[in-house]
Amino acid sequence: MAGEQLALTVLMGALLVAIVALSTRLENWRSYTPLAGGGALGEESTTVHREKPAGIVRWLTTVDHKDIGILYGVYAVLAFAVGGLMAFLIRAQLVVPSGAIIENSFYNAILTSHGITMLFLFGTPIIAAFANYFVPLLIGADDMAFPRINAIAFWLLPPGALLVWGGFLIPGIGASQTSWTMYAPLSIEQTQAGADLMLLGLHLTGVAATMGAINFIATIFTERGDDVNWANLDIFSWTILTQSALILFAFPLLGSALIMLLMDRNLATTFFTVDGGGALLWQHLFWFFGHPEVYILVLPPMGLVSYILPRFAGRKLFGFKFVVYSTLAIGVLSFGVWAHHMFSTGMDVRLASSFMAVSLAIAIPSAVKTFNWITTLWNGKIRLTAPMLFCIGFVSNFIIGGVTGVFLAAIPVDKVLHDTYYVVGHFHYIVMGVIGFAVFAGIYYWFPIFTGRMYQRKLGKWHFWLSMIGTNITFFAMLVLGYLGMPRRYATYEFDAAIAPLAQVINFHLVATVGATILLVGQLIFVWNIVQSWLEGPHVGPDPWNLKEEAPELYGREYVWHENRLETALADGGEEEDVATDGGEPTDAADEDAPDAADE
Amino acid sequence: MGLTPFDRETLLDLTVNVIPLGILGFFILAFIVVNPFGWDPVISTIQFAIVGSMFVLLTILTYYAGKAISDAEAEMEAAEAAEGTDAETDESTA
Repeated sequence: MAGEQLALTVLMGALLVAIVALSTRLENWRSYTPLAGGGALGEESTTVHREKPAGIVRWLTTVDHKDIGILYGVYAVLAFAVGGLMAFLIRAQLVVPSGAIIENSFYNAILTSHGITMLFLFGTPIIAAFANYFVPLLIGADDMAFPRINAIAFWLLPPGALLVWGGFLIPGIGASQTSWTMYAPLSIEQTQAGADLMLLGLHLTGVAATMGAINFIATIFTERGDDVNWANLDIFSWTILTQSALILFAFPLLGSALIMLLMDRNLATTFFTVDGGGALLWQHLFWFFGHPEVYILVLPPMGLVSYILPRFAGRKLFGFKFVVYSTLAIGVLSFGVWAHHMFSTGMDVRLASSFMAVSLAIAIPSAVKTFNWITTLWNGKIRLTAPMLFCIGFVSNFIIGGVTGVFLAAIPVDKVLHDTYYVVGHFHYIVMGVIGFAVFAGIYYWFPIFTGRMYQRKLGKWHFWLSMIGTNITFFAMLVLGYLGMPRRYATYEFDAAIAPLAQVINFHLVATVGATILLVGQLIFVWNIVQSWLEGPHVGPDPWNLKEEAPELYGREYVWHENRLETALADGGEEEDVATDGGEPTDAADEDAPDAADE
Repeated sequence: MGLTPFDRETLLDLTVNVIPLGILGFFILAFIVVNPFGWDPVISTIQFAIVGSMFVLLTILTYYAGKAISDAEAEMEAAEAAEGTDAETDESTA
């Protein structure tokens, strides 16, 4: 016993030494120790003054909004990869009715984790990535209003993710199998400790999102430059402002409900049990958060498209103020539609009808935006770059996702289609086809700014077409599956063919899996393109999209900032022709890249 | 200045939110006129409160957003006009 403990101590000691050795290799610790440098001995110090510490310490200690934006982005893309692989496992499982590869309980676990991961660990953070990097640049602020809170908000996320995935990472405790909606009484009765960890992790990400939201509201209200007012605030910042307000009202409620659920699970309270408020209470609280969450996720992507699409259509966004007012309208109305997720729970039909009324009303502001995007394209000088392709794909997918949503808002239709794959198809058109596409548009559009390099344009287009085709095959097949009566969330579907046409159901599951494979290939290309281009892509000039020529009035503030950055980097000392913005190449080379970048 | 503090152009912009307000208003009227499920003091109150509160909140937000934007525009125009006058004066003195 003592021998074992000794061995363990030695092992831990060796590990610590290894970590210290590794960190000293990554970073010269003396470089930012005020007393170091050997100046007292009169020797020349090797320490150089940098704007930021180098190496990994930079990323652990940064409070710069741009660095935090990149951290959010990297974190979100990693989560997207995890969630995507889970999705692919789900589709592979459903190739045959008896389940192809995994056990039912594991299927339930990855189904749960896929939903939570994509919505809370990918969706919200990737929006925060863009917002952190670009909102201060777009509104002429020096940084976020509270830079340290900004950093703390990000650093709550990695532990949150570890907790959410804890059920998979810690052997033997069992992952949560509650589905992302965590409906009571199932979520109370499950015994896996992984479910408790997931609830805690979710709570942590909610706290992070709320801190971020307060920061954005404060930044946009108080830190705007002198020349930025409510009339010329850009559309992306407007959507971030509205989203932040939604987060402020919605996420604390989720936090409270999660704590109540944790207490039901562990302390024998009865908030959501039959003896207490009942399982419906959970649904009311969850969806009062959950429906605004849909708009928390979709409004900023709408803002991204409203911002990027005009720049490749060569004209200003048609009806800019229509888009602003309709964004605000969605912000308000999103809190009056939560129970349209609950039409089939047996609630009073008079209540249900009022939720139907508000749900139909909220379709209008969304439709208004769609017409604005289409009208902006009308007679525009369209350049089909990767970001523009993703914007157009976004509009197309949003029309299908939106119209299928209007059907679900009608009580009689919902009663037929509720809890079938139709619902899954509808919201995946929105989350993948709309939110995902806008995110890709944003990543490609701003790639030159946050890397200083250009991505591989051909691979960008491959990524778009595979994503567009994959999305439509997969999720259209799901809409059809819903009409055929295939229930959602099932790990197997060996039902009696008299209930639903089993042969057709099998075929459409196959089609959906083929679509998911195409999607997977597209995303692999995306990851390769981003990583490879970040490391080796050609350096860009000040105007990588050639906006000054194509649409001078749309040359955005963030590109003005980018141009200034390149210019000030040049003036950093030394002879101008030898010093470059890019670590060694002559400046002419950087300029030569610019027209290439804008070719398409 | 008419009934509202907004000019014609701002009013036109705000019509985008008048449409959902119209839909909400239509349903409020419809629920009053056609009432197949009867009146219940609690349920019906909640029913009208849900649609009604959305109507009121959307009206308030639209009003204040419209006001903030049109005020900002007016300030911008005033500033531009002032600059224009300065520029003219500069030219004339030059």
